Amino acid sequence: MNLGFQLHRRMERSLRTDILVPVVSVLAALVAGAVFLAVEGYDPVAVYRALVEASFTTWFGITDSLAAASPLILTGLAAALTFRMKLFNIGAEGQLYLGAIGASWAGLALAAELPRPLAAVVMLLVGAAAGALWILPAAVFRAWLGTSEIITTLMLTFVGLFLMRYLIFGGASFWRDPLATNFPQGRRILPEIRFDTFGTTRVHWGLVIGVVAVVVVWVLIRFTRVGFDMKVVGSSPAAARYAGIPVRRTIMTSLLLSGALAGIAGAAEVGGRAFALDPNGLQLGLGFTGIVVAALGRYNAWGVLIVALMLGGLRNAGTALQSVSGERVPEEVSQMLQGAILLFATGGEVFLRHKLVRRRKGAALEPAPAATPAEVAA
Amino acid sequence: MNDTALVLTIAAAVGAAIPIALAALGELLAERSGVLNLGIEGMMLVGAVTAFLVGDGTGNLWLALVIGMAAAACLALVHAFLSVTLRANQIVSGLALVIFGTGLATFIGKPIEGRPLATDLHRVRIGALADIPVLGPVLFRQDPIVYATVALAAAIAFYLNKTRPGLSLRAVGESPATADSTGLDVARTRYVHVLAGGALAGAGGAYLILAQVPSWSQAGTTSGLGWIALALVVFGSWNPWRVLFGALLFGLARRANFFLQDAGVSVPAEILSMLPYALTIIVLVVWGSRDLRRRVGAPASLGLAFARDER
Repeated sequence: MNLGFQLHRRMERSLRTDILVPVVSVLAALVAGAVFLAVEGYDPVAVYRALVEASFTTWFGITDSLAAASPLILTGLAAALTFRMKLFNIGAEGQLYLGAIGASWAGLALAAELPRPLAAVVMLLVGAAAGALWILPAAVFRAWLGTSEIITTLMLTFVGLFLMRYLIFGGASFWRDPLATNFPQGRRILPEIRFDTFGTTRVHWGLVIGVVAVVVVWVLIRFTRVGFDMKVVGSSPAAARYAGIPVRRTIMTSLLLSGALAGIAGAAEVGGRAFALDPNGLQLGLGFTGIVVAALGRYNAWGVLIVALMLGGLRNAGTALQSVSGERVPEEVSQMLQGAILLFATGGEVFLRHKLVRRRKGAALEPAPAATPAEVAA
Repeated sequence: MNDTALVLTIAAAVGAAIPIALAALGELLAERSGVLNLGIEGMMLVGAVTAFLVGDGTGNLWLALVIGMAAAACLALVHAFLSVTLRANQIVSGLALVIFGTGLATFIGKPIEGRPLATDLHRVRIGALADIPVLGPVLFRQDPIVYATVALAAAIAFYLNKTRPGLSLRAVGESPATADSTGLDVARTRYVHVLAGGALAGAGGAYLILAQVPSWSQAGTTSGLGWIALALVVFGSWNPWRVLFGALLFGLARRANFFLQDAGVSVPAEILSMLPYALTIIVLVVWGSRDLRRRVGAPASLGLAFARDER
């Protein structure tokens, strides 16, 4: 299709475009959202003001946004870790459910006998193990049979979702709350082993765990042998094999770590916020949103942290909007805006690597410059 | 004897198969052109909610179907622009479509949440055939879209294997560089089939609201059918007839509870719901083994962007 424009590879990337492009993308998404809101008969300025007020101006707004961001940091890292080596674990959602199942089992069965900090550690570890276990088949099939992990991780997500529903709704399940007779609920873990919250806020230890995970993933990718191997396998599996890098082991490592991170996200949700299995699993969509977070954060650990905090605010605003007086804003606005921002940012990403050049009439195709070494490494 | 639980279950399974079959046949077209569109769930929801609004407003169900298809195709256009023209990551773009489409559908559908649609698609009774025991209710007492879906699968099979544009489509999906060098317009082929895929996903969503689900609600309308449709394309190994067969199988899994309860067997509903996904993994692993992949596998360049100057 000849649109009169042509994309040309940028020879080098600059910090200016690295920052400018995402900012412009988000602004463009907000403008598009404003037009839509106006068409639907809402006052866009009032809606946006309400969004910002709900999430970022009051103490409780800010702390609630932080609490909403905590799981997104972990699922964002889970996605970033694999996406950057061109493995696509899109099943963090399911691994998160398994983490939640494992952690609530640990909380219900083991932790009553354990001292408090140890109980939290056990819950997190069991959650991590359950998350890793859930990605294990996909990882093995990918590493040994070359089966697309995109489909297998996605399918396992739904198997995990129905497993979780079965554990909540199934008659004699260990996880089911025996007291909730009207509408089945997950059995809640004892108050003594729930994660501490900070002051009167809803921010719990999950946020700290998330930030620690950011540092760990950053160090792993930046400074360790495993991280280096991942980068090479991501850019060229053939070159990696030739260089003697254990490709299968590297694929397994990154997928299992990714599953474990998502599992920890689920465990921290049980320990710090929900205290039980949540039948609304998919509606929260924490795992899928993690992919959004990773993409917007350019698959970089610190980028994930920043974007998670921003999206956490937007998600939190969804619920908070209901309590804002004046303009009656449906909370779905926040989800729609999330999607719009993601779509624009995905499109904008291309301008980090390319620039738009007007094609002159009759001019021959200019030869494209070869990829620079920096791009190959990225 | 005419309407035993088994017969009723199978007849219901045929109906349950239609929305996933429509969406999966659409996704098959997109994927055969090399574009993976994970956004089916979002497109189905938007198709469903627009179909409801139009059907509710005009009372014309066929108009509702068409507008629902058009609305979903608009979403697909966004995906095509991002993944074909801008060469963005198809996975991320597709998931963004799910999030955006779900939010959009819920937002537009807010005022009609839980309201039933006054009219319903009429079932066709095909003359005396409808009175045949067992086969009658299963095959000859369905609504027109059921028959249209079977015809569509046949048409797509014919298109892919027996026509020139179908051959071009397969070439673009297998090796866009080769297709390009023979003068085929890779971008246009991909746009056309992603849009067709979106329209069919919209048709699946519209069918749900017009014929199956009594009222609109975001969580209840598609309840993950878009993801099942995605699985179905893999399960049916990118072949329209196998996709249609798989749809019936998945439809049966969705409706089997009714029969099983009647037969006194209790299988938890959640276990049945897992089946389509678990089966897809098994099929993918078995058929995906390297020697078989050549013959029944995914289009070779599925998920990859194509740029003439960057080969």
